[in-house]
Amino acid sequence: MLEIRGLTKRYGPVTALDGATFAARPGRLLGFLGPNGAGKTTTMRCVFGLATPDEGEVRWDGRPIDATTRLRFGYMPEQRGLYPRMRVAEQLVYFGRQHGMPARDARLRAGAWLERFGLTDRAKSKLEDLSHGNQQRVQLATALVHDPVLLVLDEPFSGLDPLGVATMAEVVRERAAAGVGVVFSSHQLDLVEEVCEDVVIISRGRVVAAGAIDELKSASGRRHLDVEIAGAGSSWPADAAGAAILGRSGDAVRLLVDETVDLGELLASARAAGEVRRFSYGPPKLSELFMEAVEAGA
Amino acid sequence: MRRTTVVWLVARREILERGRSRSYLLSLLFTVFLLVAGFVLPALVMGDASTLRLALVGDAPAGLQPALAATAKAYDAKLEISAVPDRRAAEVALAAKAIDGALQVPADLSSAGTLLVQQRVDATLQGITGGAVIALRAGSTAVPPAMEVLDPPRDSDTTAIIFANAGIILMFIGIFTYGTWVLTGVVEEKQSRVVEVILSTVRPRDLLMGKVLGIGVLAIAQLVVLVAAGITASQLSGRLVLPPTTLGAVIQLLTWFILGFAFYSTAMGALGALASRPDEANNAAMPVTMSATLFYILSIVFVTQEPSGVLARVLTFLPLSAPMVVPLRAALGAIEPWEVVASIAVMVAAILLLFEAGARVYAGAVLQGGGRMKLRDAWRASR
Repeated sequence: MLEIRGLTKRYGPVTALDGATFAARPGRLLGFLGPNGAGKTTTMRCVFGLATPDEGEVRWDGRPIDATTRLRFGYMPEQRGLYPRMRVAEQLVYFGRQHGMPARDARLRAGAWLERFGLTDRAKSKLEDLSHGNQQRVQLATALVHDPVLLVLDEPFSGLDPLGVATMAEVVRERAAAGVGVVFSSHQLDLVEEVCEDVVIISRGRVVAAGAIDELKSASGRRHLDVEIAGAGSSWPADAAGAAILGRSGDAVRLLVDETVDLGELLASARAAGEVRRFSYGPPKLSELFMEAVEAGA
Repeated sequence: MRRTTVVWLVARREILERGRSRSYLLSLLFTVFLLVAGFVLPALVMGDASTLRLALVGDAPAGLQPALAATAKAYDAKLEISAVPDRRAAEVALAAKAIDGALQVPADLSSAGTLLVQQRVDATLQGITGGAVIALRAGSTAVPPAMEVLDPPRDSDTTAIIFANAGIILMFIGIFTYGTWVLTGVVEEKQSRVVEVILSTVRPRDLLMGKVLGIGVLAIAQLVVLVAAGITASQLSGRLVLPPTTLGAVIQLLTWFILGFAFYSTAMGALGALASRPDEANNAAMPVTMSATLFYILSIVFVTQEPSGVLARVLTFLPLSAPMVVPLRAALGAIEPWEVVASIAVMVAAILLLFEAGARVYAGAVLQGGGRMKLRDAWRASR
């Protein structure tokens, strides 16, 4: 298990991290969220020793992390980068060996990942000759080649086409299923909601929300009610007691209601107004929780 | 154990990636070609220069001239024979380089006589004259003419100076050609952002060391090929007589090339991390290239003039100048063995210190985006 404990990092007058604390459990996908400049990249850099925290520490399986432990981690930085003129397969073998793999294993694993990503025929190409999407795949393979016990991916989905997003999601899910801890940052909150089990939301260097997405959602007192009544226009609800109108579009209306609201009564009132085409009740979306948490933390 | 592997992996990558590059192989071929051409072409064009010019002094024995001609033929050499009236005239002609040697043999062949030369004797000329005189005096003891060198070369002979200077120039060019590879290599890794991936497993110091080591191996390979080609070509074309100090000088040169390269390229690599684009790299490395040029000029001008002077002795122990000054003084035979040993010790210590300091600057600077960074900020940024 990866534990981030009270990390604080200042760059001159700027406080990038301000006592950030959270944990990433093995076999779970953790979405690491936060506005730009919240401290996501700095946290990841602290995990890999690329930044030294002023206070706090990073622990792995209960012990402070060191260079040997880090060799078993895989990292995909936000600023992608590999050797442009190096051949793809040699590049993967090189990084595998730098993680302590014997040459033979490194070659086998590099070959296996290239096959997985459909890049076997490009193994001998120079990286710069590959398309952008394929370069991204090689970058992911670089983080995976040594079969890491923890994957830390900074914005892995940014710049990918839908096909690339699907492959990426499939691979991280599969790794998590194999017991690997996966931490990734993203601004695509719908995607995170779909892929992840856990989230950590960070704002201004502090963790403002953390936990399983389902739990966070049910812990939130807010519920959304989406109702669409044919031909009702803006006439329904006539009496919005206990509900706030979040927005309207044609015959559809979105309400913010309290957990304790009487749904039966609301449905009856809707049916009285016309033909009910949609009546959906549920917790807020992750993106709404995110906005709420970030605003509350500000 | 693990660290050695890491450094070696980095070095190996540099050797494989750059050593296979067309530019490296072409530059290797090109320099060898230039060197060989430099020796072989003049020998082909100026074939006449190999004609040996011998003057016979006073009354030469009858039959000496035909004997010389016959022996020259056996040696497959061109011999041009003239006559001078006396020894004085022979000395004048030798000093003017009008002839390569003057042979004085008594007309009655009572002795083997004397072969006069100016600075050093041509081995073929010595062989021809010796063979001819011994053949003429068949029956007497087989002794060749005695040799007399009118103006024997002194210790600080020009050949030694030329050799020393050529060595220093070669070294200076080599260090900075390959030092620039380290410099641009560092900037390219920073620019392509691959450095963040590498540094998540490799320590900055090991990365810098591996880079210097790998590129150093390529540099030494080129130097060795160059020196070997030069010596072979000079021997084959017979245009240059190597001084007896050649082997020692070559060893000194290689040793100091390695030390100088390690020192200068580490400094250049660390400073290169301050730049964010390749075109800034040369500016960033300016302090190193400038001081190296300064010390290079100091060594060429002052140390050559006074190789045992106070300045030369001081420069021997400064890491910035030692790689140029020590081999220069050694080639001129003006350095004590203890000075060489002490200077190497100072140099090795300086290189190790520089790896620590350079790695710190490197670590502080290499992950920073934005424009060019100040040395002081980089130093503070790490830790």
